[in-house]
Amino acid sequence: MIQEQVRLPVRVAFEVVMQGIRIRFGRSLVTIMGVMLGIAFLMSILTGQALRRGVSEEERQRIEVGRMADFLAAEMGPPAGRTIGLIVTGPMSDSLEERLLRLLENRGVAAVNWAGYGGASLPPTVFTRARVENQPLQRVADSASAVLVMGAGEVPAVDWDGMLAQARQRVVAVTRRRQVSGTGATVVNLERELQPEELDRVHAAARRERYRGQWIVTVSLLVTLIGIANAMLMSVTERFREIGTMKCLGALSAFVRLMFLIESGFMGIVGGVSGCALGFLFSFAAYAVTYGLVLTLVSLAGQIGWLLGYMGVALLAGVVLSVIAAIYPAGIASRMVPADALRSNV
Amino acid sequence: MGGQERTNGTAVIDAARFARLFASSADEERPVVIRAVDVKKTYLKGTQETRALRGATLDIFKGEYLSIMGPSGSGKTTLFNMIGALQKPTSGKVYIDQVDIAQLDHNELAWLRCRKIGYIFQTFNLIQVMTCLENVMLPMSFAGMESEAAREKAIQILKMVGLAHRVLHKPAELSGGQQQRVAIARSLANSPEIVLADEPTANLDQATGTEMIELLAELKQRLGVTVIAATHDLKMLQKSDRILWIEDGRIVKSAAPSELDFGGEEFK
Repeated sequence: MIQEQVRLPVRVAFEVVMQGIRIRFGRSLVTIMGVMLGIAFLMSILTGQALRRGVSEEERQRIEVGRMADFLAAEMGPPAGRTIGLIVTGPMSDSLEERLLRLLENRGVAAVNWAGYGGASLPPTVFTRARVENQPLQRVADSASAVLVMGAGEVPAVDWDGMLAQARQRVVAVTRRRQVSGTGATVVNLERELQPEELDRVHAAARRERYRGQWIVTVSLLVTLIGIANAMLMSVTERFREIGTMKCLGALSAFVRLMFLIESGFMGIVGGVSGCALGFLFSFAAYAVTYGLVLTLVSLAGQIGWLLGYMGVALLAGVVLSVIAAIYPAGIASRMVPADALRSNV
Repeated sequence: MGGQERTNGTAVIDAARFARLFASSADEERPVVIRAVDVKKTYLKGTQETRALRGATLDIFKGEYLSIMGPSGSGKTTLFNMIGALQKPTSGKVYIDQVDIAQLDHNELAWLRCRKIGYIFQTFNLIQVMTCLENVMLPMSFAGMESEAAREKAIQILKMVGLAHRVLHKPAELSGGQQQRVAIARSLANSPEIVLADEPTANLDQATGTEMIELLAELKQRLGVTVIAATHDLKMLQKSDRILWIEDGRIVKSAAPSELDFGGEEFK
């Protein structure tokens, strides 16, 4: 059986579409801008959400660290001029533990005796002004007003009372809600658990935020979709003669449909990329102006994973929306009867 | 149905089904390339019915130069569309090269338009974004020709119509006459049996129009194609082998130019 084939030359479709876009640059630009604005809006909302998360997280940590320092001060007295002992049991958390140490230094801690436990060490950048000395574990508490236990490792098995014999005050403060037993000294847990009501409040706020964002974004994407569909429909209508001619030359209906989908997809990519960049920059600038460049950059760094994900989503949305918007117009074009498409007079 | 589409972008025309659609080809002295039998076409606009064709019957012979003429609203356009496989009749039969076009699905019709029929339009209808060469190569790529072979052939055809020196220009850079030449070249791209010309000289001045008519006649002679033209142009009518006169949806006359008295008037 000999099979005849009418080829669907995809490369030809591409070339015709690209040249067409170049020739009809003004019209294409308007459509691309439509996509760009829709995607920019989406991206700016998402970026705003991420940055807001970053900023409020930053705030929360700052407040929490302050509270911890105040709590400690209630036990050991004002830190100005004092010595503290520090046992590092493992990698330190830079959001709470390191920040607490820096805050204590800011409030006047003069000397730090530190010991590493289980191979851990103190990050060199934590203290900049206080006198920092590495001591063996038994000597950490000498002249100290308090001994802090920080880091991701286990609480050391040590003779606390022996160690604290040389301390100025017998106060042991732990982070990460650890337990210290076998000592008559005052043991304080610096971190506290969030109350259930607090947790609920935080989650509820996040939920509200999300819903509001979703609603706005959905509406704006619908507007973008309709805008593109409209532009494509106009494009089909004004190119009816070209479509009819193509069909006379042997183009399959599927070829005509493909041409319009490619055109739309291309505009979706261009609009999506530019919209993504625009939306991100806009939101970033707004936050930098409100909260300061430093804070915004910090929260950006913290949210970078989310932001990259959002960019992917925005770009995908641009392309997908454009192609969906073109389905109906492309169908119209593909179903055109050449005769209708060609005659302009009787 | 016969036409299926595979995912790699090719459409398969079932040749067996195609063969079944062929009427038995009787060996005639003058082979008929297009046959219309009592073709009717009715348009429905809302509740209003327009009977564009009320039963047209005709035979078009291979190698003929046929002109169709008639006043506005006579159904000339519709008949033209029927025999050019651009529309299907409401009733009656149209056989193009012995295939009943009403039986074809849209993929098979595309095949027919691609391989069997070349089209020339009043408004040239060249793709503005492509060069002349690319315009002529376009139908070849729809027919699946390799691009190197297509390019060679396209250059040959453009030479034939006298445009060898303009192959890389875009249509916007050409005069009306030159654009129509490109259109003629394009219509011959896939070596069709039939060339359909819809008022080819209407947008050209007298002198250029005459050139075009000469060219078509010469090509017809050289390549043996059947040329069917819808036209008001006197010179074109005079050059034809046969003229069909259509009025009020029916073919009222079929005669050779010598039998008709033109009297120097142009019919509108």
